[in-house]
Amino acid sequence: MEGDTLWFKDAIIYEVHVRVFLDSNNDGIGDFPGLTLKLDYLQELGINTIWLLPFYPSPLRDDGYDIADYTAVHPQYGTMDDFKTFLAEAHRRNIRVVTELVMNHTSDQHPWFQAARSSRENPKRDWYVWSDTDEGYKDARIIFTDTERSNWSWDPATKSYYWHRFFSHQPDLNFDNPAVREEIWNVMKFWLDIGVDGFRLDAVPYLFEREGTSCENLPETHEVLRDFRKRMDDAYPGKMLLAEANQWPADVSAYFGQGDEFHMAFHFPLMPRMFMAITLEDRKPIVEILQQTPPIPDNCQWCIFLRNHDELTLEMVTDVERDYMYDEYASEKNMRLNVGIRRRLAPLMENDRRCIELLHGLLLSMPGTPVVYYGDEIGMGDNVYLGDRNGVRTPMQWNGGWNAGFSGADPEQLFSPLISNPVYGYQSTNVLSQQRTHHSLLSFMKRVISIRKASRVFSRGTIEFLHPANHRVLAYVRELGTEQILVVNNLANSAQAVELDLSRHKGRIPIEMEGRNLFPRIGDLPYLLTLGPYQFYWFRLRKI
Amino acid sequence: MRETMLRALTQAYDNLLHMIGEFLPRFIVMVAIIIVGWLVALILKRITRSILRLTNLDRLGEEAGASGVLRKAALPSLTELVSRAVFWLVWLGFILIGISVLEISGMQEQISRIFGLLPQFLVALLILFIGLVAANFFSRAALLGAVNSGYPSPQVFSGAVRFVIWILAISMALEQIGLARETAIAAFSIVFGAVMLGLAIAFGLGGRDLARLTLEKYFGEKKKEKEDEPMPL
Amino acid sequence: MSEETFLTDDFVGQLMSVGEVDLLVGIATHNHAKTIGNLVRTIEECLVQSFPRERIVIVNADGGSRDDTQGILLRAAPPESKNARGLTSLRTMHRISTRYANAPSPGLALRTILASAELLRTKACAIVSPENSQPACGWVTSLLRPAFQDHFDFVAPLYTRNKFDGLLARNLLYPMSRAVFGQRIRELHSGEFGFSGRLASHCLSQTVWHEEVVRAWPEYWMAISAVSGGFRCCQSYLGVKGRTETTPDLVAAIRQTVGTLFWCLEKQSDFWMDRADSEIVPTFGPDHELAPTTSRVNRKKLLEMFRDGISGLEQILNSVLHAGTFAEIKRLAALNDGFDYPDDLWARTLYEFAASYHHGVLNHDHLIQALVPLYRGRIYSFLMQHQESSPEEMETGTEHLCMEMERQKPYLMELWKSNSEVKP
Repeated sequence: MEGDTLWFKDAIIYEVHVRVFLDSNNDGIGDFPGLTLKLDYLQELGINTIWLLPFYPSPLRDDGYDIADYTAVHPQYGTMDDFKTFLAEAHRRNIRVVTELVMNHTSDQHPWFQAARSSRENPKRDWYVWSDTDEGYKDARIIFTDTERSNWSWDPATKSYYWHRFFSHQPDLNFDNPAVREEIWNVMKFWLDIGVDGFRLDAVPYLFEREGTSCENLPETHEVLRDFRKRMDDAYPGKMLLAEANQWPADVSAYFGQGDEFHMAFHFPLMPRMFMAITLEDRKPIVEILQQTPPIPDNCQWCIFLRNHDELTLEMVTDVERDYMYDEYASEKNMRLNVGIRRRLAPLMENDRRCIELLHGLLLSMPGTPVVYYGDEIGMGDNVYLGDRNGVRTPMQWNGGWNAGFSGADPEQLFSPLISNPVYGYQSTNVLSQQRTHHSLLSFMKRVISIRKASRVFSRGTIEFLHPANHRVLAYVRELGTEQILVVNNLANSAQAVELDLSRHKGRIPIEMEGRNLFPRIGDLPYLLTLGPYQFYWFRLRKI
Repeated sequence: MRETMLRALTQAYDNLLHMIGEFLPRFIVMVAIIIVGWLVALILKRITRSILRLTNLDRLGEEAGASGVLRKAALPSLTELVSRAVFWLVWLGFILIGISVLEISGMQEQISRIFGLLPQFLVALLILFIGLVAANFFSRAALLGAVNSGYPSPQVFSGAVRFVIWILAISMALEQIGLARETAIAAFSIVFGAVMLGLAIAFGLGGRDLARLTLEKYFGEKKKEKEDEPMPL
Repeated sequence: MSEETFLTDDFVGQLMSVGEVDLLVGIATHNHAKTIGNLVRTIEECLVQSFPRERIVIVNADGGSRDDTQGILLRAAPPESKNARGLTSLRTMHRISTRYANAPSPGLALRTILASAELLRTKACAIVSPENSQPACGWVTSLLRPAFQDHFDFVAPLYTRNKFDGLLARNLLYPMSRAVFGQRIRELHSGEFGFSGRLASHCLSQTVWHEEVVRAWPEYWMAISAVSGGFRCCQSYLGVKGRTETTPDLVAAIRQTVGTLFWCLEKQSDFWMDRADSEIVPTFGPDHELAPTTSRVNRKKLLEMFRDGISGLEQILNSVLHAGTFAEIKRLAALNDGFDYPDDLWARTLYEFAASYHHGVLNHDHLIQALVPLYRGRIYSFLMQHQESSPEEMETGTEHLCMEMERQKPYLMELWKSNSEVKP
């Protein structure tokens, strides 16, 4: 586990909430002892990093992102000792653990806010952003358009307004106050001392408020983040910071700084475009967005994903693209949320194995560290009838038995109903049944992850797009040192022929990476390949 | 004297009788041949006509524009024309054979000459026919072109074209039979001259606008009041 | 004909890469370097706006340009993006180009475009004229939309025209096509039109591509094929039709258009023979419009050429026209100051010409050329009559001619069926 400070570049991240994975004490809610029991499963899958969603004490009005105590474990999920055991067991299996750090805001139940709203004179008063009017910072947009009307909320106790960029029960911390910054650093130190390997920093663009600006991506924000990074690097080398900033690549790349801010940041605009490319049968959306992505410092990396615990966000697309995505993927109103689509990967692809495999092929072969959302490795479904984003946060489906093997509690007692429809229900879609066959999605995932891990070209290499005349074929060459990998994807639901200009690689022999079969040597003529519907190839280009 | 005269007369009479005796059977044979020939020719004509009707030659001729030309030249239909030609050719052949039976001295060579000339004669006829068609066609094309372009005296122009093609066709036909070699050359010269003249006129007319524009550019003359050609489409 | 290969391997390769498309825009070019860049850009901008989700290809069939028309078309900058992020259309937009021959041949160009449409399984196509130096955005959309969304098979354009433009269309092509083929389509003869993939395949499979008229002017034939093949036709308003730079030669225009019209009459006689009346076809956008202008046509010259033509071609006209008809025309020509070439006489003239064409009285091309002086007479009379007319009055006039032609259609059928030529 020690040594390489750039480990995050080679990471394959598994995103999971402790609540959804396994319930060890039969109370209907997943917990750390349960998660620890399933570490072998994750190790077998091949992932090497776990990203845990918030597990802190919280009123759970925003799925734990409304934190009431930064330095404890929610009693539902176990004890601090349970967490430490889990961490140790994960590390023993060479799996790193990244946790959530929600530094922009707290829950209104947090003792800091309780103190701050108790009176205008309280020393903690200045830890939050207060105003006598709701007129300030008018240029800041409202993010949760479906529920909030203003970024200011009235506090009847002290007869003033407090600032919040998200829900009204999530007051924003005042980062202009040095005491707040110090306290957050203390929180980071607390978890780093316990041994976590990095933080995913939630909602980073919104730390500061300045009149006349959108209150996003301000220079002060970057300054604070650089300060945290420096302190962390000095005291805890080899730890990682991951930014969640739902912005265009050009804006997000600022969060890498000169390699002195974040190690990684999510590439939000790429995600919807991968889905778009498949329905359009056209590589244009992917190539276009990656060509517009600025280069980032050498010690940084993009983090890419297909689906996560939030809605499939459509903020970073054009109006035309958004309408198209809604029509294609969220024809029913209840599939939409805010500016996005609250659905899982498999239902989005109408359970087409070929599409699901192709998307994972793209995810694992494009530049960036991939994130696999729990359940997507077996093609779990969603429940659009549950409110908010809970439809994609249902219990993990381990087998076809009682409560899908998730919990021994009564089904009514579960924190969320199981998926039980004939297509995606746990009786048909579960880990146990997929472990039994070599052809299951889970087996495919294991294979493709192991191929990806076999070469650092995927995680650290450069990318060069090929531009064959056939726009339904997305082809690129990943290159690191002398090693080269050619990736060819057919985005169409029909067989395609493609002629690739591989003159730069003349004389090399393509070796297909799954079957390790030889293909004809690359010569002077364009390299002709034929691909079946949604088929993809990874070729190692060997000079022999 | 009288004796001599009588002998001579008797001689003549004998000769005549002899000649008639010699000639008459031949004459009868000749007439028979000619009559048989007429019948054969008539039958061949009928056969040709029905074959041509079956093959729809007139329809083809119409599509090729030949029938119209024939009509315009006050000629019968193509089928009729061809079958009549067959009739006459066959009968002519029989007549010549019949005459040859008479064994008139010198006639024999003439007839064999005529038979020798027959293919050339046919070709010459064909040339004349094509010439007729071409003259008709091109003179009409010239007439239409001239009228629609508003050139003066289109009839003269069209007549000239017809005349030139006729001359060409006739001289070529004669050339074919082996007569008037010089005429053919002369006709060719005339035609060549006419074509060159025609080209010169065409270039002149075609380049009219260019010349006018160039002149206007040089001398800065006021342009005529602008006229629109109505846009047809 | 389907066995015949007329697409180059290179072009087939390009088609392969394009794959299936929804919409196809065809442009047949020959030395259009000046206008083609702007045209292609406008078309793409328009398509991105109007059909953001559809798969689109622009197919260029070039007749041996020497001014790098193909290169300019392929290199023309894509439309500028309308949003700040520089993102343009959803999809890859293809432009492909082929040189079908070294000399322009409209028939071969259209055939190439139709073959592309069939191979790409196109749903709707539009043919756009490269002459247009200021193409308006809406044009392509107006041609494509009825075929793509409303499932029409043939979309004829409608324009706003100068009052005295399109006289041949107004006095001959439209009334005669309408009366004979029974559909009230204004511009059956336009170089810009839309059509469905179905119609493209139908026309492609016909065995007429070697015919001279189809090679020279395939648009009209295609339109008539749509009408006579029972395809759904409509009209779509495009906008103001500008004047092309080169003034077309009247004789050439008549030879081409009337030649094709008569040829189609001949080929489709089974279809139109037993048809009476005409149907109104659905129209998108405003109807045919006229922009009032004054005419500067030299009417005196028209009259002269009419009179000279009558006397010069007397023999020919005698063989084409009915004696009574010709006598009446001669009487008009003899009148001293001006005359009116009435609709009924004009209709009779045209029908007798058509029948003579059918009966092969003259060489077909000559026959049509013989019509030119009479057309000039008709135009002279038309201009005299409508010098001060309002657009509405002109429309009424055209409608009257159309009705007259429809009324006299039985006369055409009678002439057509009679075994001999027109002359009694």
